[in-house]
Amino acid sequence: MVVDQSEFKSFGIWFFSYMVDFAMLALFMLVGWAILAFALAAIRNSPGRAAKMIVGTIKRAFFVDFPRTSIRRTMAMSRLAIQEAIRNKVLIIFVLFIALLLFAGWFLDVENDHPARLYLGFVLSASTYLLLALGIFLSAFSLPNDIKNRTIYTITTKPVRAHEIFLGRVFGFAAVGTLLLVLMASVSYGFVKRGLDHDHTIDKTAIEWDEATGLGTGKTSLNAYHRHEFTINRNLENADGLIGTTELAKGHSHNIYLRGDDYIVGSPTGDLLARVPVYGALSFLDRYGKPSEEGGLNVGKEWTYRSYIEGNTLNTAIWEFENLTEDMFVTSGSEGVLPLELNLRVFRSTKGKIESRIHGEILLVNPEDKLPTEQRFSAPIPFEADEFVTSQVNIKFSDIHRQNPKTGALENINLFKHLVDGGKLQVHIRCKDRAQFFGMARADVYIRAPEGSFEANLIKCYLGIWMQMLLVILLGVFFSTFLNGIVALISSVAIIAMGMFAGFIGDIQTGEAPGGGPIESIVRNITQQGATLELEMGDTAIEVIESLDGFYLNTMESLAKLAPDFSKFNMSSKVAYGYDIHRDLILKQLVTTMVYFFVLVLAGYFILTSREIAA
Amino acid sequence: MSTSADQKGEVIVETRNLTKTYKDFWGRSKVHALKALDLNVRRGEIFGLLGPNGSGKSTTIKLLLGLLFPTSGEALVFGKDAADVSKNERIGYLPEESYLYKFLNAEETLDFYGRLFNMSAARRKSRIRDLINLIDLDWAKRRQLKEYSKGMTRRIGLAQALINDPELIVLDEPTTGLDPIGTRDMKDLIVRLRDQGKTILMCSHLLADVQDVCDRIAILHQGELKELGAVDSLLSVQDITQIQAKNLTPDTEEAIRKLIADNQGELISMENPTTTLEDLFLSIVRDSESRPGFVSRKEGVEQQEETATTE
Repeated sequence: MVVDQSEFKSFGIWFFSYMVDFAMLALFMLVGWAILAFALAAIRNSPGRAAKMIVGTIKRAFFVDFPRTSIRRTMAMSRLAIQEAIRNKVLIIFVLFIALLLFAGWFLDVENDHPARLYLGFVLSASTYLLLALGIFLSAFSLPNDIKNRTIYTITTKPVRAHEIFLGRVFGFAAVGTLLLVLMASVSYGFVKRGLDHDHTIDKTAIEWDEATGLGTGKTSLNAYHRHEFTINRNLENADGLIGTTELAKGHSHNIYLRGDDYIVGSPTGDLLARVPVYGALSFLDRYGKPSEEGGLNVGKEWTYRSYIEGNTLNTAIWEFENLTEDMFVTSGSEGVLPLELNLRVFRSTKGKIESRIHGEILLVNPEDKLPTEQRFSAPIPFEADEFVTSQVNIKFSDIHRQNPKTGALENINLFKHLVDGGKLQVHIRCKDRAQFFGMARADVYIRAPEGSFEANLIKCYLGIWMQMLLVILLGVFFSTFLNGIVALISSVAIIAMGMFAGFIGDIQTGEAPGGGPIESIVRNITQQGATLELEMGDTAIEVIESLDGFYLNTMESLAKLAPDFSKFNMSSKVAYGYDIHRDLILKQLVTTMVYFFVLVLAGYFILTSREIAA
Repeated sequence: MSTSADQKGEVIVETRNLTKTYKDFWGRSKVHALKALDLNVRRGEIFGLLGPNGSGKSTTIKLLLGLLFPTSGEALVFGKDAADVSKNERIGYLPEESYLYKFLNAEETLDFYGRLFNMSAARRKSRIRDLINLIDLDWAKRRQLKEYSKGMTRRIGLAQALINDPELIVLDEPTTGLDPIGTRDMKDLIVRLRDQGKTILMCSHLLADVQDVCDRIAILHQGELKELGAVDSLLSVQDITQIQAKNLTPDTEEAIRKLIADNQGELISMENPTTTLEDLFLSIVRDSESRPGFVSRKEGVEQQEETATTE
């Protein structure tokens, strides 16, 4: 799973920089409005009168209208928006959603290797797109319809403040959306649980027993397009009859119980997870074991998210973890384990045996570099990695050794006493096979903290969808304060798209994404020149093209910075891949939503108070 | 006819040199909708804005309500600028068409507007009950407004304008869409509201309505104020004396003619007056309501109908 770099920034650090941006944005909006409103008012009136109007509006806003905000009036407007939406039959969206679920079997790949990811991805995407579409349609057309039908006359001639009209719409539509979201979430949860639930049986005559060890191996029945291999131990004496667990298949396994003479396969486990990853900072050593400024190697892939280390060299990827404490790993009554999960990519430069896994080794290292080297490093812990497979490496504390420099013998060491320094621990990973490579990004190796609740994680994901919906409604209502319905709708969609592609626009602008701006791309297409090659044209022509593209891209980038980045709110992949959504991520999104809320309400107020409703 | 308002009363509505010019995007003047209007409306009077279509009546009202911004001059209501929302606490407005939410029923409509005035639930409840009785829509209070006739919609529109028990009631063409009974009821209500101490500003192009209820009028034409004053004084013709008498014999009538001639007067007309169509219609409808099934036709009308049938 790809994790955005910004996620690694803690909420505290992020908050300060974001608030500075927010203040700038709010100031920009206020000054922008004042200039625009002054210009328009000056055209229609005299400059003196225009200035008086602007100052009067700002004074009235902060000293009269905002302090006199009435909850009852705002709620009345919300109620009206809800009644309007419901009587316009918006709940049909829910019926549409149910219909989608009913016929999901027609278009979903039921034999997929990760059905949980598939089902979760489907229901979360369907909920998101339906709700966003609903939010945008409701919000973009409501106010323009009121103005067109002149029902707004009977509102604005009552003591209703402009921001109460704005807030009423937003709250009302958000309430309708929330109701739909809750309904969709409940149905989705049932759909996923039911879709994943299945049984297997074991033919006890087909079990192959090893009489010496009491271990039996076999395969379960074929159900839900798969079967599991299993190993059971009939000598185990658990109170609940648990005698083994199946191998993973389609992202889950089953417990196997002995009940009387029968072997019972339990419900699927491990498909709906909320793994809590503890991430470290990533750095690299080059093939000679020296710290690398450039990071890892580039194996020629255009997507530079991951870097690579070369096998059978000193090329090393180092993750440094912080704030580790003993109680994170040692549970009473059981041995301490350092649970590492590796999502390494494998890049083979020689074919070899394509089915065989690539070998690697892990070294646990004390980050205190003043210590003698032999005291800092644990003995290598071997592991194997394969493409697109998560390797779980559970390092028992008793398996952590260090070589005695004098005797050369391995001796057991205490992880927290000998290797963890001030809560910090380094994990070094090397590839052992010559001419093969491991690829990694910062989020690909992590320590797995105690599991979170899947249901709580799902709720957090829906909270993200809810915030996206709120942002869409805010944008729709904001644009509808000065544009007609269809134009407000298109503008909202444009801003959402701009927010979604802000990163890409930035990459084009900085030249990180090859191919140049829109004009250069068109020229390349027509003249059939590759995106990564130098553009072959006359110097003057290139200069003109680059200037025009530069102007366009600078404008687009500035606009994109104003737009909320919707991709950051989409956490469905985390839930589908079984990763816990960190609290900081939710907090960042909440703050972002609040910022846009206040900025857009403020902007909407000033626009509504500056426009002639009856013009 | 009502009595004139106290000319020295508190000024409720005031316009000073109020001008509205509609301009295009580039600031070029398109229409001079209102030109330097100076008006005062005092507490407790019914003030009528009169004029043909496009004379600036509705523009004046929209400027006073803050729905439009003046190009120059000032519009003050209760001494506050028209753009100040707080003035709306004391205003009730009935627009030209009843621009209401058709998916609400009468009770929901009034409840919604009551909430906009921050009224408590108990007060809203009692106000809604009183107003629904006042407009006589108790039988249809649970029906959505989309099922209402134009007259019913107009009545619920009036009720929403009165929900806050306003001091100033602004009525834009209040009798539009009403049948003669509704028109008469509306006019009676306007007078009643004035008698309760409300100030009423109305605009209409129906001269009879204005004449019937207004204390003072302003006549606008092409955005300019052409006439302003009390209805009685504006309409009185100083050089003509009108005498109405009952049960005069032809001899007495002849004697009056002679008396006028002897005194160098000019007799303009002496005839039996006719009632207005409105009065005739109302008397027929009231008669019909008091005696259902009874058909009463005037002889002349019957004869005309028979002649038409024979031909």
